[in-house]
Amino acid sequence: MRIGKIVKSNSHVDYVCQINNPGEFSALPQPHDYAFGTFVRLELGDESGCLVGLIYSTILMNPEFGSLGPRLSPPSDLEILSPDYLREQATLVSILAIGQVMRNGEVYQGVPLLAASVNAAVETMSPDEIRRFHTLGGRLSLAYMPRLLAEKDAIIPHLLLKVVEQLAVLFPDQKRQLAVLHGNLAWKAAVTPAG
Amino acid sequence: MERQCIGTTKGPGESAHEYTFITPDPERRIKTGEFVYYEMKVEGKLRQILGRVTQRVPLRLYPDTFMADPGVPPAEIAAMLGFREQHHELFEVSVVVMGYYQPELGDFVNPRVPPESGSPIYIAEDALLAQVLSKKQSGEIGSAYIGWLLSRDPAAVPVNLDVRSITSTHLAIIAGTGAGKSYLASVLIEELMKPYNRACVLIVDPHGEYSTLMEMMGHREFCVDNYQPEVYVVRPDQIRVRISSLELSDFRYLLPNLSEKMHFRLGQTYYAVHRKYGDKWTLGNFMTTLRSGDEEHVVTDPESDTKLEEDPTIGALIWRVNSVFKGSKIFDDFEDMPLTRLFRPGQCTVLQLNEIDQREQQLVVATLLRRLWRARMDTEKGRSKEGENTYLPYPAFVLIEEAHNYAPANAEVVTTGILKTILSEGRKFGVAVGLISQRPGKLDSDVLSQCMTQCIMRIVNPVDQARIAESVESVGRDLLQELPALSKGQAIIAGSAVNTPLLCRVRPRITHHGAEDPDAPARWQQFFSQAETLRRERDQALPLESKRSNRMYK
Repeated sequence: MRIGKIVKSNSHVDYVCQINNPGEFSALPQPHDYAFGTFVRLELGDESGCLVGLIYSTILMNPEFGSLGPRLSPPSDLEILSPDYLREQATLVSILAIGQVMRNGEVYQGVPLLAASVNAAVETMSPDEIRRFHTLGGRLSLAYMPRLLAEKDAIIPHLLLKVVEQLAVLFPDQKRQLAVLHGNLAWKAAVTPAG
Repeated sequence: MERQCIGTTKGPGESAHEYTFITPDPERRIKTGEFVYYEMKVEGKLRQILGRVTQRVPLRLYPDTFMADPGVPPAEIAAMLGFREQHHELFEVSVVVMGYYQPELGDFVNPRVPPESGSPIYIAEDALLAQVLSKKQSGEIGSAYIGWLLSRDPAAVPVNLDVRSITSTHLAIIAGTGAGKSYLASVLIEELMKPYNRACVLIVDPHGEYSTLMEMMGHREFCVDNYQPEVYVVRPDQIRVRISSLELSDFRYLLPNLSEKMHFRLGQTYYAVHRKYGDKWTLGNFMTTLRSGDEEHVVTDPESDTKLEEDPTIGALIWRVNSVFKGSKIFDDFEDMPLTRLFRPGQCTVLQLNEIDQREQQLVVATLLRRLWRARMDTEKGRSKEGENTYLPYPAFVLIEEAHNYAPANAEVVTTGILKTILSEGRKFGVAVGLISQRPGKLDSDVLSQCMTQCIMRIVNPVDQARIAESVESVGRDLLQELPALSKGQAIIAGSAVNTPLLCRVRPRITHHGAEDPDAPARWQQFFSQAETLRRERDQALPLESKRSNRMYK
């Protein structure tokens, strides 16, 4: 499902996606479609396939914030009198690129070589796509995880906890291995900052 | 064989003669005690600078958190996170530099310059080590092949002791119970009795466990055309000490609880009997002199002077002398063990001291060592001639089991003095000792430090380890740390009989081992076996009553 488009990037791996507003596409994305820890696909357009990313933050854009004075037009009239004003409100999500899937299905985990372009479509990934992205050489692989953990952001352990929980459902055979990672991440997320 | 580069020099180590190198060592060949070398030009010649590995520190370890589930190998977690290399390990190895071997010196020369960072490190080839670690090659005159280098394949690098060093600067075999010290001693004796050594050896055997060495006689491994070793076992009932060979200190040691006055009387009597009878006197002569009183109060008829007998000092001394000497089988007025029978090249004499009281054991050893020492000294100085009892024209080696009983720490026994004399001066007169002990902590530290070749086997007791560390200078700390980890039959060999301290696996004995522990559970089981039960019933059965005897009672 298409949830939005890339509008900005902060670095080679950190993108900002604007969630589709009502009327832009037939299917309006619901909040659970762009929830924290959701796997998304960033289309690269050509033979390069797509980037795979993880939603790790949400920002709400509202130009009205700070204009505390009364408005001449009530909200019901805005659609007729100034429709452009409505479009200035947006939901933005931050996406960390964690790998790339080539057009031929080849998977690469880690820092992708290519970057997404402005207006690139952002779509959610199906469970099958997530499973394929995490299978390297017939085995479960999370080779992007060490790079994410190396970032000093306190939200990363929480993000990876969500990832591990999703993968535990998709890879029931690797439940014990994932439980070791889950325990480690839970300690980092809950105990280490409090200690 | 092509040499193999196994690592790369990192840089200098903690001290000036140490360096470190980095190695992945996938085959795990770099063990503690292993020998490696780097190449360097010294005085225009390319030299192989040998060194011994002292420490091996892993540089890459899995995080503890990867080991949270014992059922999940940490390698699986690492692979899941993208680490899929075949070998992940990397080690930093510390090496103590020995130097390059200079055959003319018979020793290693340290270049005193650490290897360049980045220079390759090679594992020393078997042939190189066989040539430089031991002073002698296997089978050479004066060599004793006692085993092979522990870190290499069996028999790949033979360890040969230099017999000349052992028999001039003494030997110590130190090991905990069951580590194999008498096994190693027997291997050494076997080597000393081989045709290329033909040594003159005496073993002080307080447990009677060396008699299996008799198998050497006639064994094809020990015999050549004109030589076969002789093993002479002196059983406890054959041991004799001539009373006149005892010294005053021996009397004082043997006689219990002497008062000051008794000490005085004893000394007076001892010197008087020497003046009167010379070197050969009997217990009867001694008692007569004792009863004679002193020179100022001469007793006219000492045999019947009952008044003197009533003197409490003399009476008590007479009682003590009688109780010690008359009850013992080893003291004799005339008979002694002739030195020429005990010490002979190509002969191994086993002096079995089991069944003999410990004080008497010490006295037997003290008198024997004293006689040996005097005989060698007199012979070397030309004071005794061929045919005399004190003529011993060849060096001798005495191996003493349970040496802590003969030179204990913090105590002086009759053997301590003569042992110290032999250890410090024996080199000049060709008398050497080999001390075997399972309690180095109880052994006199001076005595231990005088033994210039050390064979140290597994020792767990920290007191014993500390005594070894303080008494044995040639063994490095790194090797001493190995002591508790050594297995049965593995030994640290250090000192003058080898070119460098090394870890050795003792070779199998040719003769049978005589100090096996008894298998008590098997013997108990045997008691209830059918054959044994039947045998007991048969032996304990009452004799059948015959018809004739029945008739008689009727």
